[in-house]
Amino acid sequence: MDDLREQIELLESSDNLSASINDVQKAIDLLVAARAKIAADPQTAPLTLAKLHDPLKKTMEVAQKDLKPIYSGLNKYSRALDKKFKDKPLPAAENDALSSHPQLINRAIAMHLLREGQFSVASTFIDEANRNPPRPEPTPGTPNPYLQEACSKDAMHGTFNSEKLQSQFSEMYHILHELRQQRNLGPAIEWARDRSGVLEARGSNLEFELCRLKFVCLFVGRDEGGAITESEDGPLRAWAYARSEFAPFQNRYSRDIQKLIGAMAFWPNVQDSPYRRYFYNDSAWEEVAASFTREFCSLLGLSADSPLYIAATAGAIALPTLLKLQNIMKEKRTEWTTQNELPVEIPLPPSYHFHSIFVCPVSKEQSTDQNPPMMMPCGHVIAQESLNKLSKGARFKCPYCPGESHPRDAKKVFL
Amino acid sequence: MAELTTTKLNAESHLLLDQPLLRMPYELSRRNFKNAQRYLERETSTLLTSLSSTSKVATKASGETHENTLESLDAMISKMQGLKRKLEGLHEEEGKIHRHSKARLAHLQDLFEVQSLVDVKYDEWSRIRLSRLLVDYLLREGYSDAAAHLAQEKGIEDLVDVDAFVACHKIERSLREGRRTGEALNWCKENGQGLKKGGSNLEFQLRLQQYIEMVRQGHEAGAEGKGQGGGEQKLIEARQHAKKFLSGSGDFELLGRAAGLLAYRPWDMVEPYASLYSPDRWIYLAHLFLTTHHTLYSLPPRPLLHIALSAGLSALKTPSCHSAYTSSSANASSSTTTVCPICSTELNALARNVPYAHHTKSIVENDPVVLPNGRIYGRERLTGYNEKVGTEKGWVRDPVGGVNGERFREIEVRKVFIS
Repeated sequence: MDDLREQIELLESSDNLSASINDVQKAIDLLVAARAKIAADPQTAPLTLAKLHDPLKKTMEVAQKDLKPIYSGLNKYSRALDKKFKDKPLPAAENDALSSHPQLINRAIAMHLLREGQFSVASTFIDEANRNPPRPEPTPGTPNPYLQEACSKDAMHGTFNSEKLQSQFSEMYHILHELRQQRNLGPAIEWARDRSGVLEARGSNLEFELCRLKFVCLFVGRDEGGAITESEDGPLRAWAYARSEFAPFQNRYSRDIQKLIGAMAFWPNVQDSPYRRYFYNDSAWEEVAASFTREFCSLLGLSADSPLYIAATAGAIALPTLLKLQNIMKEKRTEWTTQNELPVEIPLPPSYHFHSIFVCPVSKEQSTDQNPPMMMPCGHVIAQESLNKLSKGARFKCPYCPGESHPRDAKKVFL
Repeated sequence: MAELTTTKLNAESHLLLDQPLLRMPYELSRRNFKNAQRYLERETSTLLTSLSSTSKVATKASGETHENTLESLDAMISKMQGLKRKLEGLHEEEGKIHRHSKARLAHLQDLFEVQSLVDVKYDEWSRIRLSRLLVDYLLREGYSDAAAHLAQEKGIEDLVDVDAFVACHKIERSLREGRRTGEALNWCKENGQGLKKGGSNLEFQLRLQQYIEMVRQGHEAGAEGKGQGGGEQKLIEARQHAKKFLSGSGDFELLGRAAGLLAYRPWDMVEPYASLYSPDRWIYLAHLFLTTHHTLYSLPPRPLLHIALSAGLSALKTPSCHSAYTSSSANASSSTTTVCPICSTELNALARNVPYAHHTKSIVENDPVVLPNGRIYGRERLTGYNEKVGTEKGWVRDPVGGVNGERFREIEVRKVFIS
């Protein structure tokens, strides 16, 4: 890295065209001087011109020579680049399943831009993409069983309903802005209240969290809009708020509410009370904002972080491993035995694991819809194919404990 | 231990996707340099010749022609000033390219400062990389406005090559839509050396197309009948053009076909000549130009986003992502789980065609338990959810069904062993 930077700095500071430009200026000066002389005394013209020839030629030669350091500087830089990337060829996109679905990629990008709040970029992009629809490039080397279906689906939907999504996300950003910058809970509470049925069914306590934060705000002396007020009646207003708003939460959150009300007793010095952590929690706003974002996206059936971001990052982490695999396969001239599954394990950080994974301890295969995990009465789980092989339809012993059972007692489980 | 090995960031091997980031400005600065060299050489020789001829004239007819002498001196001066202006333009360009290179090196250097994949700094860096990949994709697909806009919003103009791609697509469009060879031939001239080294046949194909168009015009003029000579004339021109530009190629089979065009007219529909007359050739040329351009500038043939995404989709995909059954561990119906990125609408259909990740060990939550309906959950998550929705004591609700989902007696919840 340092090597490359040195070379660039050298090119930038000294090995550049400025020297040649100066030389050209010198040549111009020579010509101008000669012209002045001839204009003053036409008789000297032949002599002046003859005299001009050599210096002019020399100056121009110098100008050309001045290019040499640039040339060698660039060469050095190029060698440094070669060295840097010697063992890092670009992975060939042999398993490129994407080029045949540019519509889907465009849709993913548009949704990414919208969810990141880049509304104006998104609209520029959607506009351009509609004007110049992408050309699918079929990639014959890839397993593509769904090509037909996917294509017809694309054609049917055209582009997705971007306006609806945009208005949804702009609502989300509006609410988040109010939350984070203005400390205004109003819009968020209103949003949560409108969807309280759905949120409750999901086991989300977002609405209560928002209301609790509101209570805390009032208590420590902020007004309805979130601005800090000087008045001393904060606890009173919080009390009034609790009386009017907390009733629907009474069943589910009675304990939390009791804590909040209990704090009223300490109101002159909550700082030193056991209730301190409810009232002076600086990260509360960020937490509420994050859980709001998650709920909002989940209700739209979307993941909380941009999938495009997670996938691209996971891809960058996976690439070195995949490249190594590619090289080995090229050397040994082998092909994957299963096209459905990658042949190597890719080490991803735990935060990139979303679904639980079941690998059958007997066959070492991952469970699929066709080969689901089955639980025997003893509580051990193996894949269905392994179960069939082990039991051959009759009573058999669990491979992990002394328990015996009949295959019909095994139960399909869902991870 | 496992945690450590999966979260360690090896910056050096992480740069796989970033080679074009540095290659492109290098190639641009080389082209810039070659241009400067060419201008300088050309102007020097013209300057010196015109100086000698002026001085010859001045010596022969001394005195009377000094006005002519002044005139030609003025011409020389203005030419040199033109050269200086050109060089200054290139100098400015050179500075810009170097600035880009420096910004990119600094950006890559940032990665070396990060040790772990779970570091917030890596997150930031990776977000910038995604924006870069997106801009690259948009540029390649020809969505230049959106690309420029995004680069500007994200403040990464120094990390992307908007101008170079805009120029590239202008030429591509001139072939595809304008059916003109001029711009592309000009580009070939500018990059002559690099193209020769790479053994490109772009220029030959462009010249061939010129020839085809000349022959077509000749036949059309001939068929219309008016100006018989015009058609003939055009065909003769075409033959001369072929002699000048095509005969050197050595591809005699193709040359034979090209010669056959003189006999077969575009509407005769006789193969293999009809395919040479076909308008599809322009699309072929546009495509050939793009691939030539990308190879010359060390750009991968497919967008980097494709490479990153297909690797990422596979690494993340599990058999559950396109399963007919709702996954217990990641679904949209309960707030205790997050939606998996592959299940999310954006990528789900795209991921259908990629293989899923390979795992040698089961990954399940701690202390897994199974409900009578076969659903497996980590005990902590199951109780946490039931506390939140306020399930009655002694009962457990399946989170997948929400508040009104299936309800079971707590004693029916069994421990399950997954190894």
